[in-house]
Amino acid sequence: MKKILESARTDPSYLNLWSAYKKIQALGLAAPDDDPNTLRLAVIGSTTLEPLAACLDVKTRLEGFFVETFVGGFNTYRQEVLDKSSDLYKAKQDVIVLSIDAASILDKMFLSNFARMSDKERQDVQKELVENILSVVSNLESGTSALILVNNFVVPVFTPLGVVDNKQKIGFKRFFEGANTKLAEKLEKNSRVFLVDLDSAASAFGKSRIINWNTWYRGSVPFSEDFTPILADEYLRYIRALKGRAKKCIVLDLDNTLWGGIIGEDGIEGIKLGNTAPGIEYVEFQRNLLSLYNRGVILAICSKNNPDDALKVFREHPSQVLKEEHFAAMKINWQNKAANIAELAKEINIGLDSMVFFDDNPVERAQVSQVHPEVLVVEMPKNPRLYREMIENLNIFDVLSLTSEDMTRGEMYVGKRKRTELEQSATSIEDFLRTLDLKVRIDEVNDFDTPRVVQLIGKTNQFNLTTRRYTDAEVNDFRKSKERVVYSMAVHDKFGDEGVVGVAIVRKNGNDWWIDSFLMSCRVIGRSIETAFLAKIVKDARKANVARIIGEYIPTKKNTPASDLYERHGFGMPATMDDVTSWILNLDEQTIDVPEWIELTEAKQ
Amino acid sequence: MTDFDDKLLDILSKALLIEREEIKDDLKRKDFEPWDSMAHLVIVSEIENEFEIFFEDEEVVDIWSVEDIKNLLKQKLAS
Repeated sequence: MKKILESARTDPSYLNLWSAYKKIQALGLAAPDDDPNTLRLAVIGSTTLEPLAACLDVKTRLEGFFVETFVGGFNTYRQEVLDKSSDLYKAKQDVIVLSIDAASILDKMFLSNFARMSDKERQDVQKELVENILSVVSNLESGTSALILVNNFVVPVFTPLGVVDNKQKIGFKRFFEGANTKLAEKLEKNSRVFLVDLDSAASAFGKSRIINWNTWYRGSVPFSEDFTPILADEYLRYIRALKGRAKKCIVLDLDNTLWGGIIGEDGIEGIKLGNTAPGIEYVEFQRNLLSLYNRGVILAICSKNNPDDALKVFREHPSQVLKEEHFAAMKINWQNKAANIAELAKEINIGLDSMVFFDDNPVERAQVSQVHPEVLVVEMPKNPRLYREMIENLNIFDVLSLTSEDMTRGEMYVGKRKRTELEQSATSIEDFLRTLDLKVRIDEVNDFDTPRVVQLIGKTNQFNLTTRRYTDAEVNDFRKSKERVVYSMAVHDKFGDEGVVGVAIVRKNGNDWWIDSFLMSCRVIGRSIETAFLAKIVKDARKANVARIIGEYIPTKKNTPASDLYERHGFGMPATMDDVTSWILNLDEQTIDVPEWIELTEAKQ
Repeated sequence: MTDFDDKLLDILSKALLIEREEIKDDLKRKDFEPWDSMAHLVIVSEIENEFEIFFEDEEVVDIWSVEDIKNLLKQKLAS
């Protein structure tokens, strides 16, 4: 497998991806059930989609997943979707790509007749087109628990109406733009169906090049050999987000990265940084970084400099966009960068594989990627005017929902830094925790917090006892079920509101409650909050006359911080089956109390 | 080996999933299972892209062996 993937990795051309796909298919491997890295993918639609499926399949494998791909027949998606015994439903799909082009739905004479259609007719056809797509989508939604990726329409470049196309209420282009807007509006609130912006991807690539007319007429292949892998990348963004592979933190070098020149040599007046050239390119790069910070990407610094020189820029330079408060942590020293990055990961408390490193110096980049292959080391362009474009094309920070926690994450890290300062001045850990005024709210999750809960389930790696990745649909099923309880935990202290940072899922089984999932954002580790969380579950269990609480633990490469949770809280008799160790807390003999420095609130009784 | 042969062998070996050494002129479509209609489509379009030519529909259906491809391609590139 490694050998097959190698050529696709070094040169991900269409031919190499296709070849790798066919070779892998010939091996007939089944993806392991119940492995978090298994991805069951279905690609269905109105055209010949094996090429797109092949690129997506292999590119997903290159990210380390086991993939099983189902490709629908040529324009048979309706039957596949409606017939619940069709091959589409034979496997429990994780992701379904629904690729439909407008021409397959519209009347064959649509283009020819468009100029003579009335506004009313155009409106009706547009509505029908959109509803057509949405009805397929809603059938998929009710028949599966998959994430559904449906594309919007490519707005054509040609219009029979010529330059006055937009002088009409619904011109030819506006017909498709309007359909796209309607699709987006209808799916806006849907957390399982995502509208893939094919029109935008096509524009970026060049609409005149997205189709190879030879293969289109010969075999109804909808996208050209050059565009298909690019489009696969666009779909891959959703898969990465679904599987919790989003990058979370950007580690930045300073000299020739955030500003031009070397602060230690050129001085604060000498560096290139300003609202006109030279230096505007750095200001714009920083503005872009700030836009990512404002939606929850963590920023950190790793620079070889004298701290006083570097900090002076942040404090005094009039054009500096990013300030000290935007950084969760800073390493400005003469230590090697790989060591600094390891310390940053520890200090911020995230995995190295969530980090991205930007440095203009290829030697530093090589050193970091050699020591930490998990860190994504970005090949920076030599030309700083291209930094902005580089970051805009990265597409590695995608999440499937942006929560209020994302928006204020930056501020939370400032709170974290202040907490660390307080911790260092406190005489004991309990003293420190007492002074924090910790308030913890634990409830069955409500509608408002569900997206955040799903997000945490999807991306929490370290303090996660079982790392079971449930989808939005599954979580909602649990919420409705009488056999399950889904808890969410929000945390507040005197430095600010952390929002929802913990999730537990309990499976009720007669006199036993099983803790199927228990996870907490790494931000709040070390404040005994997990004890309060377990105490709440114990309290509810007692109310329900439950005899035992059984906690499950599945070890992964990353979740050692959570490995002793049950042991620490008095659970005993560990028994291991397959990968799962279960720990028992006998409620007749034992209990767990909320620590005295934590105030527990519960909304409902 | 000429650049021409090299490029052609690269396409054929990747589309037909066999080693370059195993590709003989008398390799026939109907005797070789991986050479299905989709592989045929891939071969034809990759050759078109690589050599900046295009095939008529009749020509595409009339390709039955590696030899046919070579002959057709030489003829196209000569004209």
